[in-house]
Amino acid sequence: MPANPKYLAQSKWQRFAKITAGFIGGFGVSAAIHIVLAIWFDRSIVLITSSFSSFLLWSVLFVVAYIPRNGWRVWAIYLSIILLCGAIVLLHQ
Amino acid sequence: MGKRMYNVLFHTHTVSGIVISVALYIIFFAGSFSFFRDEIINWERGHQVEIKDEIAINIDTALSHLGQQYELRGRDINLRHYYNERQVGVSLSASKDSTASKEARVGAFFYLDTEDKSTATYPESYTLGEFLYRLHFFAQIPYPYGYHLSGFTAFFFLFTILTGIIIHWRKIVTNFYVFRPWAKLKTIWTDSHTALGLIGFPFQLVYALTGAFFMLQSIVMAPYIAVLYNGDQQAFDKALEQEHSTYEYSHRPLSGIESLSKYTAEVQSKWIDFKITELKIDNYGDQNMYLTISGNIDPRNKMNGIGKITYKVADQNIVYEKNPMEKNSYADVTKNILSRLHLADYAGYGLRIISFILGLISCYVILSGVMIWLVARDKKSVSDKQKKFNQSVVFWYLAICLSMYPMVALEFVLVKLFAPAGMTFIYKTFFIGWLVLSIFFAWKKNNAFTTKWSLGLGAVLGLFIPLVNWIESGNWIWDNLRLACYDIAFIDIFWIALSVFSLLSLRRMKQAIVLDKKSGKTF
Repeated sequence: MPANPKYLAQSKWQRFAKITAGFIGGFGVSAAIHIVLAIWFDRSIVLITSSFSSFLLWSVLFVVAYIPRNGWRVWAIYLSIILLCGAIVLLHQ
Repeated sequence: MGKRMYNVLFHTHTVSGIVISVALYIIFFAGSFSFFRDEIINWERGHQVEIKDEIAINIDTALSHLGQQYELRGRDINLRHYYNERQVGVSLSASKDSTASKEARVGAFFYLDTEDKSTATYPESYTLGEFLYRLHFFAQIPYPYGYHLSGFTAFFFLFTILTGIIIHWRKIVTNFYVFRPWAKLKTIWTDSHTALGLIGFPFQLVYALTGAFFMLQSIVMAPYIAVLYNGDQQAFDKALEQEHSTYEYSHRPLSGIESLSKYTAEVQSKWIDFKITELKIDNYGDQNMYLTISGNIDPRNKMNGIGKITYKVADQNIVYEKNPMEKNSYADVTKNILSRLHLADYAGYGLRIISFILGLISCYVILSGVMIWLVARDKKSVSDKQKKFNQSVVFWYLAICLSMYPMVALEFVLVKLFAPAGMTFIYKTFFIGWLVLSIFFAWKKNNAFTTKWSLGLGAVLGLFIPLVNWIESGNWIWDNLRLACYDIAFIDIFWIALSVFSLLSLRRMKQAIVLDKKSGKTF
């Protein structure tokens, strides 16, 4: 204690990538997944559940964003999930 | 979990915790007092509220009193029970009648006292209970910044407790039994931080989630409205069963409005233990006049018993009915559970006292976390400049957080001495006093001093609270108990208990410092 800095990301850009991926990307992924679920299942039930599940998912995605060494990879993964969900939404319209 | 991941998550826990610590402490401290919001208000006003959790005034009586002051024809009238105070909230829309007078063409919001039938505006009826309640979601900061600040604090708190539980996971059983209060201060901080953090985890998770829900709902729902409803807020509200029905004004007057209390009586005889919390009248005095009665069954009998009924007054027909005796809809249940869990208002004093204690424990976990952050960085590898900076951060943090306790106690004394205190008085005395005390403690640059004096001042001022109440009202605790003024007696007893506990901790703290000095360690 405290955390050993040799394990922590040293580059400022990495730090930036992880924080933004977790906070903004995580929000996007959580919203996108809930939207897809709302299309597939009973819409109002999914949306009402999202009043707590969206925060849980968002915060978990925020934590997960710190696990990979490369923060940009997190961005890539989160963005592809968002795009995939976007494609599903478009297909259903 | 590998070493790298452990260290990475450990670091995120530390950084997120440090960033939100002061805001979170204020939320938890003010929030803990907010469990007793209504008791504080009734104590301040010297009121005893007999009928709780429902509108304590006959609808006809209320309307006749409102009718003396306002021209009601053509208005929508809303009577609402917000809290267990003597007053109910009254909201009047502007009259829809084209022949109405100029005065009737504007709306109004005010409170109606259910006993002396007087009316008061929001600032006029501002109280310390309301102040502390609103402080816990930073409502004093202009909307929506205060709400969003508290909401994001709750969300980052969620992040902090998740990382906290993950890094503690492997030691969860072994460390639970580790408590070395007589070792050195650093181990007191770490042991108590993890043990109390773990005990408080379920409580904190509920408050982080529900708090974020209350304050950030509009933000997380925005993408759904945009994508699924093409930006149509009304359609979205309908799906979530939170739309407000509106009824057209027909411009045909209703001849002779009869008593409306027969409807409330009918509802209460039909639905057992039903507590009416809202009465809504659309188009008063019009052929299209509707009365909507909403409320819930006493949660002690049925946790999710939301009910609502709408009558068309002209023909006395029921046009809408949501039966609270039957199974509630998923939307109603979810919203009801989320808010009841947060407010802890479904099981009487016991639950709220436990919640208050858990709230203060959370305050302790926040501050012990800050202390761990400081002592963990007090080592040779850290530069003197950095150490100095860390120290001054903690001087300020503790000064701001701990001075809240004596300030709240002082404010209780002040609102009683200068009753009725009102909004401006409470704002000025509390915020200026808090600022001055924080600056003083930070300037002293001594954490032990800050802690001791905050606890001591809080305890002494706390003991003054029942005393001031006696001076102002002439009633001691036992008088209030005898008079069945339980809310008032509760606040007096509550502060005595809090003061005694503070004095005991202060004594223990002195022993700990003496012990620490013996072992040659300082903090």
